Amino acid sequence: MPPAISPISAPTLPSAIRPAGETPARSGFQDIFSSAVGQVESMNRQASASVESFLSGEGEDLHTVALATQQADLAFEMFQQVRNKVVSAYQEIMKMQM
Amino acid sequence: MDRLSGQLEHYLDLLSTRQKLVASNIANADTPGYHTQDIDFQSEFQSAVTGTPNILEVAGLPMKNDGNNVSLDRESRLLAENALRFNVASSLLHTKISSLRAAIKEGQGS
Amino acid sequence: MSLFSALSVGASGMAAQRARAELLVENMANAETTRTPEGGPYRRKDVVFESGSVESPFSSIFNNQLDAPTGVAVSDVITDTSEPERRYMPGHPDADKDGYVAFPKMNPAEDMVDLMGTARTYEANVAAIGAVKDMIQRSIDLLH
Repeated sequence: MPPAISPISAPTLPSAIRPAGETPARSGFQDIFSSAVGQVESMNRQASASVESFLSGEGEDLHTVALATQQADLAFEMFQQVRNKVVSAYQEIMKMQM
Repeated sequence: MDRLSGQLEHYLDLLSTRQKLVASNIANADTPGYHTQDIDFQSEFQSAVTGTPNILEVAGLPMKNDGNNVSLDRESRLLAENALRFNVASSLLHTKISSLRAAIKEGQGS
Repeated sequence: MSLFSALSVGASGMAAQRARAELLVENMANAETTRTPEGGPYRRKDVVFESGSVESPFSSIFNNQLDAPTGVAVSDVITDTSEPERRYMPGHPDADKDGYVAFPKMNPAEDMVDLMGTARTYEANVAAIGAVKDMIQRSIDLLH
């Protein structure tokens, strides 16, 4: 019987809310995510502002609203896909290391 | 957004502004003293500066006795042309967006 | 500035042309009216157009005035004050002591031409609203 192997702690996915100054080993994924989430959030804000401006009759062009909204949507979908890819790659790697 | 999309959006902005002016010109086709308004479309588009374009008075239009120089022929032609160009640009953008979305979704399975 | 404001501009054009058409038709209908409630023969009326900002029903009251679209409105209705036409018709119920009847001063040919011009401009405004509506619809399509 092999010696007891301490269970591998479940890999925690780096979250964008985590403050800076984490261990360098983690910062690779963290940077990717932080930057991507930041971009998505920024596009969402822009889209929301555009929609609000349109709704309150401030004269925002509808095509501007549509494009800003689509842009935010696409950025988010792209982010989701990338995240899923990164997570499954990460899991693959973790499997291999066992 | 890539460069072409940005340009297409700018194109839509300018067409939108131009069409508003055409509508004003048509509404004021019989207003004494009213002068036809427009923007210098190409120079605004080439300059790539967004924001409100400069509104100019159109030169060379025949003036009627009451000081009005609106030509319904000109405005009707511009009305149709602006709408068609808007159609083209928005269709191009729509196709771009759909393709991009399909490409992202396609990556899902692999 | 949104395309929606152009709809209000077109609507103002339609309203103005319709007001003008109504007066032109009233003029033509009363070409021979020798008696009016105000006394005297019918007096020809005309509209005065003035360009100005139009209110869009959905626009904010805080909208920058510089961006307000230019529409048109009827600023005044002018009644002809020139001397009416006098025709010698002694048997006419509205004849004065000299046998003259005051008839409206009319220019039917001009009114007819004006009416055709009004119809044409009215149609152009309708076309403008249609084209703008199409563009707005295209913008909506971008969302799909």
